[in-house]
Amino acid sequence: MSHDILICDDELHILRAVEFKLRRAGYSVRCAEDGGKAWEAFQAQRPDMLITDLQMPVMNGFELIERVRQADQGKPSIPIVMLTAKGYEMACRELAEQWGIQAILAKPFSPREVVEQVQAALAASVSQS
Amino acid sequence: MNRCGSPFWLAACSLALSLAAALCWLAQPWTGHLSPVLAAALYLGTTALALGAVTAVCMRWRRHLAQGKHAVQGLLSRPEHDFQDERPPAIPLPPDHPWRDVLISLAERYHSLASRLQESEDARAALQVQLRKQAAEHERASLVLASLREPVLVVDEYGELIQANPSAERLFSFTAEEAYRRAIKNITRCQQLLDLLNDTQRRKSHTIRQEEIQLVGADGIPRWHEVTACSFASAVAKEAETLAASDSGVLAGTQPSQGAVVVLRDITDQKAAQQRYAEFVSAVSHEMKTPLSSIKAYVELLVDGDAEDDETREEFLNVINSQSDRLHRLIDNVLNLARIESGVVEVSKMSQPLNSLLAEAYETVKPAAEAKNITLVSAFSPLYLTVLVDRDQLLQAAINLLSNAVKYTPEGGTVTIRSRDLDGQVQFEVEDTGVGLSPESCERIFDRFYRVKKDTHMASGTGLGLPLAKTIVEDMHGGRLSVRSTLGEGSTFIVTLPSAAELG
Repeated sequence: MSHDILICDDELHILRAVEFKLRRAGYSVRCAEDGGKAWEAFQAQRPDMLITDLQMPVMNGFELIERVRQADQGKPSIPIVMLTAKGYEMACRELAEQWGIQAILAKPFSPREVVEQVQAALAASVSQS
Repeated sequence: MNRCGSPFWLAACSLALSLAAALCWLAQPWTGHLSPVLAAALYLGTTALALGAVTAVCMRWRRHLAQGKHAVQGLLSRPEHDFQDERPPAIPLPPDHPWRDVLISLAERYHSLASRLQESEDARAALQVQLRKQAAEHERASLVLASLREPVLVVDEYGELIQANPSAERLFSFTAEEAYRRAIKNITRCQQLLDLLNDTQRRKSHTIRQEEIQLVGADGIPRWHEVTACSFASAVAKEAETLAASDSGVLAGTQPSQGAVVVLRDITDQKAAQQRYAEFVSAVSHEMKTPLSSIKAYVELLVDGDAEDDETREEFLNVINSQSDRLHRLIDNVLNLARIESGVVEVSKMSQPLNSLLAEAYETVKPAAEAKNITLVSAFSPLYLTVLVDRDQLLQAAINLLSNAVKYTPEGGTVTIRSRDLDGQVQFEVEDTGVGLSPESCERIFDRFYRVKKDTHMASGTGLGLPLAKTIVEDMHGGRLSVRSTLGEGSTFIVTLPSAAELG
C-alpha cells in the first residue's frame, strides 16, 4: 500500500510539480491550496505525511502544523516537511525542534530532494512505530 | 595767618611781661637799695630781654608750624597717580625740622597704601574684564546649545543636572530653572540612560560611550535615540585627582567621579527606514524565489525525463515561460520603484490633456479586458482637463490601475474609467465590479508585495503595481490615490491631481 501524502502550497505550479514528482515515485498524493483546505483534508483522512508551505492564505503553515500536532496527541506523530521561500530569516533548527519538523526546504528547492526527504522521513517513521 | 597773628603777639607779650615781672619781683631783695632810676632801667632791660627771648622762640615755632603745614598740604594736594612711583614723595622740610621724620614716615605709609589701593583697583578692573568675557562665552555656549535640535544634558560629578537645552526640556518635560541641580535620576526614569551615564562617569579616563535607547517623550510616543555620553573632568574632580596623586592623605584612595555631557539624536525615522529596507529586501527575495522555484522544479522534471509525453513537456515549458515572465516583471517593477524613489528617473512635467492620456491607457488594457469578456467603459468629462504631469509615468499609473481592475474582476464584469473636474483639481477613477476588498485589505492594498491571498489564483501579480501607481501619483505629482471598496461588490481607485490651469 502506497503512503498517503498531503501537500499544501498556494503556488499552484509548485504544488503541481511536487505532486507530479511524488506520484512518479509511487506515492498517493492529495493537494490543498491553502492551510484551511489542508486542515479539512487532514480531518477527512489522516495522511501518512504532510508537506506544507509556510506563507499561505486562510491558515499559515505554523497554524496548520500546530493543529496537526494537537490532533497527533496519543498517536504516533506524522512526519512533516516544510517548504519556504524565507531563508536566512528563519532559525530552522529551533523551529524543527519546536514543531517536530523533519526537514525545512528553502525555495527554490529541487523536487528530487523533496522525494528524498519524504523517503527518509517515512522510513524513520516506520522504524519508530 | 593774619587772623591768628594778634592773639599770638598778645600772648607772647603777656608771657614776656609776666616773665619780666616775676624776675623783678624775685630780684627785689637785691634791687631795693638801688636808685629808682637804675631800678627802672634794670626792670625795663629785663623786660626787653624777656620779650626778645620769648619772641625768638615764638618766631621759630611759628616758622616750623608754617613749614610743617606747607609740607602736609603739599602731601595732601598731590594727585593719586603720583603715588604710583616706586619711591615715596620727597618732604620739603629742612633736616632740623622736628616734624621731618614723622612726615617722611607718613608719606611712606601713605605711598604704600596708595600703591596697594592702585594694585587692588587694577586687579578689580582685570577681574571685571574677565567676568565680562566669561559671561559672553557662557552666553555664546548657551546659544549654541539652544540652537541644537538634539537634546543635550550636562551632569556634574555628583549626578546633578547643571545645564540643558530647550530640546532636552521638551523631551524630558522639565524647565531648566526648576531642574537645575536636581539629580538626573529624578529627571528621567529610563534605567538604560541612567546606567550609561553612570558607567561613563565612573571611568577613570576621558570616555565617550554610545547606545541606542528608546525614550518616551512628552507625547507618550516611544522614539529611538542614539545617546552619546562624553565624560569631562570638572575642577573639583581634577583637584581631587591631584590630591590623590600627591598622596596628601586627604582624598588619597578615593575615586574621583566625572561630569558628563549627554547628546541625544532621534533615529526613529532612520531605524524605520532601515527596517523598511530590510523588509523590502526580504520581500523582494521572497517574491523572486517563488517563480524561481517553479522554474527550477519544472526544469528538473524535464531533465529527469519525468514528462513522458509531448503534452506534459509543453505544459512544463509553458510554466517555465510564464514564471520567467513573472520574474522579469517583478525585476522591472522593483527597479522602477527604486529608480523613482532614488530620484534617478528624470521627471519631465508638462501640461497634458487628461482625457487623451486616459484614452491611451484604456486602449492598452482593452485586449486583456476583451479576453476575459469584461466590458471596459470610458466616461470622460466633456471639459478639456489639463494636468501638469510626466506623461509616461502617469500613463503607467493609469495602466496599472486599469489592469489591476481587469485582473480582479470575474468574467462578464465591468470596468469603468471616469474623469471629472473637482474645484480646481482634476480627478479620475477606475471602478470595477470585481471581488472587492475587506477593510483590512483596503488599508494594506498599497503596501509593497501585499496581495489578497484568497484572490491570488485570479491573476499573476508582483504586488508592486498599486504601490508603484501610488508612488507616481503622490510622490512624483503631489496628488492622491485612494481606494473605496466593498467586499464581493467591487472597488474604485480614485486619483486626484492638481489642475494644470490652477497651477499655471
